[in-house]
Amino acid sequence: MSSVLEHAAASAGSDVRDRCAVVGVGHSRLGKVPGVSSLDLSIEAMKNAIADSGVPLSDIDGIICRGPDDSYTHHQRIGERLGINARFSTTMDNGGASQIMSIILATFVIRAGMAKTVLCGFGRDAWSRTHATEEARVRNETRPESQRPREFGPEYGYFGAVAAHAFGAQRHMALYGTTREHFAEIAVAFREHALRNPDAMMKKPMTVEDYFAARMIVSPFGMFDCSLRSDGAGAVIVTSAERARDLRQPPVLIKGFGTHTNARGWFADDNMVNTAAGPSGQMAYRMAGLGPKDVDTAQIYDCFTYMVLTQLEDYGFCEKGEGGGFVSSGALRMDGSLPTNTSGGQLSECHAEGMLQICEGVRQLRHTYPKERQVKDAEIALISGHGGNQVCHSTLILGRA
Amino acid sequence: MAETTTAAAKPRKPLPRPAPESVPFWEAAKNHRLELPRCNVCGKFWFPPSRSCPHCLAADFSWTPISGRGTVYSFVVFHRVYHPAYEGEVPYVVALIALEEGPRMLSNVVGTPPDEVRCDMPVKVAFDDVADGVALPKFTPA
Repeated sequence: MSSVLEHAAASAGSDVRDRCAVVGVGHSRLGKVPGVSSLDLSIEAMKNAIADSGVPLSDIDGIICRGPDDSYTHHQRIGERLGINARFSTTMDNGGASQIMSIILATFVIRAGMAKTVLCGFGRDAWSRTHATEEARVRNETRPESQRPREFGPEYGYFGAVAAHAFGAQRHMALYGTTREHFAEIAVAFREHALRNPDAMMKKPMTVEDYFAARMIVSPFGMFDCSLRSDGAGAVIVTSAERARDLRQPPVLIKGFGTHTNARGWFADDNMVNTAAGPSGQMAYRMAGLGPKDVDTAQIYDCFTYMVLTQLEDYGFCEKGEGGGFVSSGALRMDGSLPTNTSGGQLSECHAEGMLQICEGVRQLRHTYPKERQVKDAEIALISGHGGNQVCHSTLILGRA
Repeated sequence: MAETTTAAAKPRKPLPRPAPESVPFWEAAKNHRLELPRCNVCGKFWFPPSRSCPHCLAADFSWTPISGRGTVYSFVVFHRVYHPAYEGEVPYVVALIALEEGPRMLSNVVGTPPDEVRCDMPVKVAFDDVADGVALPKFTPA
């Protein structure tokens, strides 16, 4: 990172660190929710977040959200259904990195005095779009036709996000000796966490044997390396730290955040093994005045098992190339050194493109979970977002007030 | 070059639908030549095609034949059928080829069982005439 950016991040730290807080979280029904649009799933989650915060609806004066990829001015639909106008309102466009970016933007808007209480959220109906009807089962593609590649891909039988991420996994395996046993530990650990979460989509225990018995999709990925196709939404309420003190919930402070986009592409340079989580995390650590050793729980964007492994390295929880050994030590388990994706994540809870992981980070820091779900003495949570053709990344560091 | 299907026929594999700036690439491929844009100012190659050099932003370039040699940067093996035309074709290899001249290009590695493909293995181009007037540059072990 250039010194100009380092300076910007450091000065932003003093202006942003601990100045805003997440004061409400909520989620919709998760999993298979046929007959409910992604918009209504979002509304369900947002109403729950508003109720959780105790903030009167009339106080919400900002909306920053994201709709399905084929939506336009989605934030207006949210305002319409909640019956509110907003002083600041917009929609984000960075795939799975968008949800943390909504919170980043909310912080700027609040610090600039443009709005006082901002609602952020995202929902999707990926299960219903691809499974609920026979026609949808055949279509089996959530992206609209206009967004699919026209050349240098489909003519070689190259389709979908599974293959894109599998390229990174294969390269990592070749460079560092990473194996599918390492990926299995990630899938099995998150499933074990999901079993503690009554709202999680996946209810059945999973063993390493189950992982290896599952059918291959695009090798090195089998079925359990891939996140869920699910319906679900999450939402949060952001306001100033000052205002948060008077609200119903224990405030969870926004300590730092960072972004990075490897816009040269997933296939360029070594971006598929050194992801944008690296510089995004550095920016967030600097702003928060914290490092990886300070993090008590991580909620990592787990679209695929491998993406957890490489991000753990990129965030500095272990050296590059040592992610396999790190996860095999049991680090990600509830009693491990870095309990990770403690709600089950996108591999076993529900895939709402990172939104539910933000909710989980906040809940862990409130210390209101029953013992079996609570990360003991959690003070700092790191949350990641990743998306937009694999190259957009965002990081959020939260702390207990 | 658009994909065409009729109700009765087996679905056809997608064919490239070139952007205007890619047309010379596919014209050369049709004649079994691999050509990339090369900057007349800084001398570097790039891919996928665009109208200015991503290294120095010069707009002065020439379509230039390349060696057709490279290595496998990474690869995946499709087991799942994502498109009905690939029924019966799995498993097949999609690879990211690091061309000798620098750019990387997505393609297939053919002429070898999928389980013998490795990262960094040397490969060379082999054209596959997939339709009238359409040839795809694929790669075989070198």
